[in-house]
Amino acid sequence: MDRPEWAPEGIDMEQFSAARVYDYMLGGSHNFAVDREAARRGLAAMPDLAIQAQANRAFLHRAVRYLVEAGVRQFLDIGSGIPTRGNVHEVAQRAAPESRVLYVDIDPVAVAHSRQILIGNERATAIQADMRTPEAVLAHPDVRKLLNLDQPVAVLMLALLHAIPDEADPYGMVSRLGDALAPGSYLVVAQASHESRPDVWAQMVEMARHTPYPLSPRSRPEIERFFTGFTLVEPGVVWAPLWHPEHPDDVDDDPGRSSNLVGVGRKM
Amino acid sequence: VTDPAHPAALDVAPFVRAWTRAVNGTCHVPMTRAEKSEFLRGLAERLAVALVAEPFDATAGYWVATDLVAADFDAPEALGRTIAVVNDRFLTDLGLAETDPHRSGQPNLRARLTDLVQAFATGFARARHDRTFDAQEEIRVAALTARFAAERELRASEARFRYAATHDALTQLPNRALFTQRLDELVAGPPPGARFGVCFIGLDGFQAVKNSLGPYVGDNVLTVVAERLRGFAAESGHLVARLGGDEFAVLVAETTCLDDAVKVADRVAALLDEPIRRGGLELPISARVGVVEQPATGTDTVDVLRAADMTLHWVKADGKARWMVFDPERNAREVARYRLSAAMPTALNRGEFTLAYQPLVNLGDGTLAGLEALARWRHPDHGLLGPEEFVGLAEDTGLIVPLGISLLEEACRQAAGWLAAPNSAPQPLPAAHPPYVSVNLAVRQLRNPGLVGEVAAVLDRTGLVPHRLQLEITESAVIDPATDGDPVSTLQALADLGIRIAIDDFGTGYSNLGYLPTLPIHGIKLARYFLAGTRGRAVAEPTADAFLANLVSLGHTLGLTVTAEGVETATHARRLRAAGCDVGQGWYFGRPELADRIANRVSGPWT
Repeated sequence: MDRPEWAPEGIDMEQFSAARVYDYMLGGSHNFAVDREAARRGLAAMPDLAIQAQANRAFLHRAVRYLVEAGVRQFLDIGSGIPTRGNVHEVAQRAAPESRVLYVDIDPVAVAHSRQILIGNERATAIQADMRTPEAVLAHPDVRKLLNLDQPVAVLMLALLHAIPDEADPYGMVSRLGDALAPGSYLVVAQASHESRPDVWAQMVEMARHTPYPLSPRSRPEIERFFTGFTLVEPGVVWAPLWHPEHPDDVDDDPGRSSNLVGVGRKM
Repeated sequence: VTDPAHPAALDVAPFVRAWTRAVNGTCHVPMTRAEKSEFLRGLAERLAVALVAEPFDATAGYWVATDLVAADFDAPEALGRTIAVVNDRFLTDLGLAETDPHRSGQPNLRARLTDLVQAFATGFARARHDRTFDAQEEIRVAALTARFAAERELRASEARFRYAATHDALTQLPNRALFTQRLDELVAGPPPGARFGVCFIGLDGFQAVKNSLGPYVGDNVLTVVAERLRGFAAESGHLVARLGGDEFAVLVAETTCLDDAVKVADRVAALLDEPIRRGGLELPISARVGVVEQPATGTDTVDVLRAADMTLHWVKADGKARWMVFDPERNAREVARYRLSAAMPTALNRGEFTLAYQPLVNLGDGTLAGLEALARWRHPDHGLLGPEEFVGLAEDTGLIVPLGISLLEEACRQAAGWLAAPNSAPQPLPAAHPPYVSVNLAVRQLRNPGLVGEVAAVLDRTGLVPHRLQLEITESAVIDPATDGDPVSTLQALADLGIRIAIDDFGTGYSNLGYLPTLPIHGIKLARYFLAGTRGRAVAEPTADAFLANLVSLGHTLGLTVTAEGVETATHARRLRAAGCDVGQGWYFGRPELADRIANRVSGPWT
């Protein structure tokens, strides 16, 4: 029987999920066979994907600590995925316990898992919503309850925008989201870039074209465009390991291996 | 040389630096570099203490590995590199490499380290094994939770959808679909002897309110009505529904007799009689209720709904009663009428309509003046039907127009044939004038703009001379203001063709004598009660006779032929002659007879 139009989305366990594949890349076990299979296909094409995932996660932590030090106490993590291994709320609330964190993901399993982990934490919750309609995200009752949009909010979009092709107008989405933020808010972006490995990425894009998760790696100027209306903090949009590294040892000789360009911008 | 007897003096810093470097990047650990260093230092010290402790216990390696995995240093690479760096550097970095394994009394630290590493590897593998299962369990629980949530949402939306499909959007009352469903359930396998009632409620005056004050006020009224009915449903437990428009319904389950349903109708009507005020106006709204009450066994839902609807229709048409109970006999009559009405077009095509003729006799000499053609329907099931059973229906549906002209043509053709009929020859015609044929013309026919042309064509086709055709019309056909067109001009045109026009049933309507002299007519036909004198109170015969004489005189004054209907006895005929009446018609002179039989009698005499 065809699912009627008014029926909500079901849960398809036969389909891999980006959130769980990413968990596997990070060495996690919160995934299913179908996810591991997808991850292995990706790793076969591009072994550095695991490095990208780790670099992305490490950047997330550095960025959150940076923001807490900058005085931000509200975080909106869009595309938060499987919330294991040091989440925004752990990092932020360890540094400033009053920090409020709202996780958003489109994957119902990831959201259910997040909610399990967040039981008893009154300053953090997770909602299921689609970033492609930022208005719906911002209007969600839980968002309104937890976050005060009149105060600065850090919006995190890590490993998210490369899942949204230009045709779907990711720039419009980010800018509509940015318009709703108070001055002093931050935008944090990390997304795949083909610039360091153009051949491998061409292959990856082709491979992903016919899956539910097509890939749109972007160039540095394209990624900088997401920060329209924001002022990029130093050092601007760079390879993930180069953004405020903790120790020179953490930056290897070829930071482009991460294939992950990141940046943090502040709304004036 | 470090004194192994004092483990606190052991400096683990160089080893921790090497270990931190070795495991860095193997797995994602949510700690700063400094935190990682600090954490690994703690573990390194526990290993160092265990190494030199007396008695030696290798299980410390197991627990160090367990804590390492718990802190997310859980990648296989972290295990491999830790084993490598411990084997390579632990003793050296702690300054314990110089100890001589062969010196008696000294522990064999290399052998102890091997045991520690073995316990460490075991602990790491077990911790990772457990962790994997925990994570798998967590994600499966999350998937189940998500699936339940999605299904709950699906059910909720299905419930919303079902609600929307079974409830009226404006009033939130159950709708016709739900009402029908409940009725279906009620009549499907009821307990023996169970009865039930249905009340259909219509709002009197609703359309007028809606038309004059607008649909918003209309909706407002419906909401108020629905609210009152909802209150009634709550107190009585009966199902109340909005069927659509201004129609509502109550399902009265488990009645014992008709009275139970009537009480509901009474109560509902009283509830809706409470004035509804909007914008300082008291809206003239009241309820009419059609009631059906019957046994549940052997009941068809559709029939019940139709019966209730029909009864509501009756009570609305009645205009006085607040409620009415379904009357199966009245219904049967109306159904029969409807069936008859529906069968008429086919009957007309099949030639089932025919004519009977009743003589019109000159009262003076008993000769035949004419014959009135009377419609008959040879119905295949019901036999021969008279005009009172179908002409009204034909007028309602408009079929009277083609039926009338068809019968007119038949009458004219037969009238023309009477003269030519050979079997009329044996007896000489009793009068100088051959008999005319008198045909009834319905109001709808008179309104038909093509009438004059069609009548002229009929005369042409049948060859009947116009003055042998008389058309009978009712007073109302001429003077009813609702009659559109110009009936007088139509009559004039017919008269100009040479056709005789007579007013039928003269004096039965609200006669307007003023119009009489102006009409292009040739005669009047007096209704039968002028003879019988029995309409209301009895009238003394001398008075009735005088009245009759004056009526006849009135007609003669205007130069009209006066015909009397209902002549049933010789006394009637005598009184009419005395009054000076010209023509008589009635059983005394002959009953209506079908065309084939009348042809033998066209020559009279008719006494």
